[in-house]
Amino acid sequence: MRLVIALFLALCAQPVLAQAPATVAAPATVTPQATAVLQAAVNSVIRPAMVDFKNRSSGLVSAMTALCTVPSPGALMIAKGQFRQTALAYGRIEPIRIGPLMEDNRAERVLFWPDRRGIALRQVQAILAESDETATDPNTLRDKSVAVQGLGALEYVLFGTDALVLQGPEGAFRCRYGKAIATSIARVAQELAVGWYDPDGIVQHLTSPNPANADYRTETEALEELVGILSHGVEAARDQRLRPFLAQGDAAAKPKQALFWRSGLTMPMLRANLEGLRDLLLRSGVGKLVGTRDIGLENSIAFEFRNAGRALEIVTLPVEAAVEDEKQAFALNYLLLVTQSLQGMIGEQLSGAMGLSVGFSALDGDGG
Amino acid sequence: MWQRRAFLKAAGAGFAASLLPRQALALERNELVFASAVQTRAGGYGAVLLGERGDVIASIDLPDRGHDITFSRAAGRGVVFARQPGTFAVVFDPAGQAAPITLTSPEGRHFYGHGVFSPDGKLLYATESDFEAAQGVIGVYDATGDYKRIAEYPTYGTGPHELLLMPDGKTLVIANGGIETHPDFGKAELNLQTMDPSVVFVDAGSGALVGQLRLEAGLHQLSIRHMAIDIRGRVWFGCQYKGAPSASPQLVGYATLDGDIQLVELPPDTLRDLRNYVGSVAVSADGETVAISSPGGNLLVAIDVAGGKPVLVETLRSGCGLAADNAGFVATSGLGDMIGLAGAERQARKFDFAFDNHMLRVG
Repeated sequence: MRLVIALFLALCAQPVLAQAPATVAAPATVTPQATAVLQAAVNSVIRPAMVDFKNRSSGLVSAMTALCTVPSPGALMIAKGQFRQTALAYGRIEPIRIGPLMEDNRAERVLFWPDRRGIALRQVQAILAESDETATDPNTLRDKSVAVQGLGALEYVLFGTDALVLQGPEGAFRCRYGKAIATSIARVAQELAVGWYDPDGIVQHLTSPNPANADYRTETEALEELVGILSHGVEAARDQRLRPFLAQGDAAAKPKQALFWRSGLTMPMLRANLEGLRDLLLRSGVGKLVGTRDIGLENSIAFEFRNAGRALEIVTLPVEAAVEDEKQAFALNYLLLVTQSLQGMIGEQLSGAMGLSVGFSALDGDGG
Repeated sequence: MWQRRAFLKAAGAGFAASLLPRQALALERNELVFASAVQTRAGGYGAVLLGERGDVIASIDLPDRGHDITFSRAAGRGVVFARQPGTFAVVFDPAGQAAPITLTSPEGRHFYGHGVFSPDGKLLYATESDFEAAQGVIGVYDATGDYKRIAEYPTYGTGPHELLLMPDGKTLVIANGGIETHPDFGKAELNLQTMDPSVVFVDAGSGALVGQLRLEAGLHQLSIRHMAIDIRGRVWFGCQYKGAPSASPQLVGYATLDGDIQLVELPPDTLRDLRNYVGSVAVSADGETVAISSPGGNLLVAIDVAGGKPVLVETLRSGCGLAADNAGFVATSGLGDMIGLAGAERQARKFDFAFDNHMLRVG
């Protein structure tokens, strides 16, 4: 990489005297517009998505119970379908990495990812090879590595090597382990829903920021959290779900580094992530909290989300084949650009138009 | 902070002799000079040298986001490091006489945003990641010529962040944050369950491990990241907690070369407002006060190193950068503010660029 660096006298960066230090003003007052946005985010998007995940995961437990009770190809097919529904329901809430999802390692319990060293695969295979009965009880499974108690582990149980044993009695242990995983996921889903409906919990703090709160003291902090979810969400979708398996420079594509390649859910999961984020943006109306000069920004972001949706529709093959297909690989690379653009539009433009500091030092940390 | 204290003596005549007229004039007028990585309003990245009165003495463009800057009077050079997982560092001449040199991290390594010169200015040490092995390393560069990378030491941990030179001039201290990342997965933190942060002392000449200090086992998710050294030679560090947000462990402590490591007790309200995140740490010119910042909590705290108690708590939106001035500290923010803190008589100023996380006093 050859970098051209120019040292110059900064004529364009003259300081101006501030009227007053930019210290935090207290007490906070919350405008009705911001309150409406925060309430809509919670009531129209986050809470329904949490309930949906809870319901889907209950369905998954039922399907696994049925499969274990009377194993058959049909029962396995239904269990796989319920896995898909549960995973995609989680995909819509996965970016909402605040409050209940960040407690008690819940995010990692539901989906341990990225797993660069293949820890989950090794540990799940060990459980299956040794018929480790402590993995079939949700209470003892909970004490094991988070990598063996979530969606990644269950995907291997249902779709991995030798998964067809689940169609008959010889798959009894594998099925009991799968059922315990489903039960664990459903427990977390229940805890998430309870957390988001707790009258004294995160919703109260997020929608009524107050200096007495430990988490959200001001309207600005609450809105930064909301815009931060959007900005970091598209960044994570790109960096953790797309880029890891695409060919880059001289490096070949690594389709087995894609999430859920066994179940063919790589792209549907990415779609669920992006649709969840789009809904949070548009249904909360957060893009409207800008001055007249930036009023078109929300539309531009929505347009870019539609571009992402169109690119996702082009990728119809399993990732292993898609990365080898010229048109679909092009669409995948185009998605990289679109998600990059979305991050800039949300994390920098929208954040800047709202007077927030999402994309920079406040919420972006030191790169850790 | 051996080097930073040495800079005090470097102010003025030391390198003013070779300055371009405008830069020379600016330096002559200013007793203090500060440096910081910045983001411009248009979204570009760079680094700036600022005079005491807030005038921009010089600036440099960067290809991507920078992080910390280190400076050596002996070498007459500053270096701005890419923010992790960046692969560049730019060596610049504050006097504007020599063209900048861009270093690129070798294959399989990236920078971690921090570095330090040897006391004689002949070597540059930088924290880097051997990301395939998930091991921290220190890249050693020959600062007498073209900054060739001549050696590599282990940091004896994962995710090294800031490194400093101890007052003995021969021991490096490194904060191993403990967090594994890999460029394939962007900023994703890959090992939150198994983090193992530590403060490590390494012989600067050989890379040999002098000592490694860990907090108690229950605090393995407390990532030790930024440091500054007080008058007693104690290494003050600030942490970022990666466990449940509802937990609120202490975030500031100190380690010593003779093997002591402990956290200091900040009052619950102050701790709460730090939001489990300390963004930078600096020590005052007299070495008696340490300042820490939390950009997420919009909080700046000055602590008396003798008693380990806060002596001042100030708010600054998105405030993170900290550097000593003569009386107290200068603090900068992601919104372009620069204020004085803890006795620094300094008019608040606003710039039309955003300051990155760290501020360095270079003169």
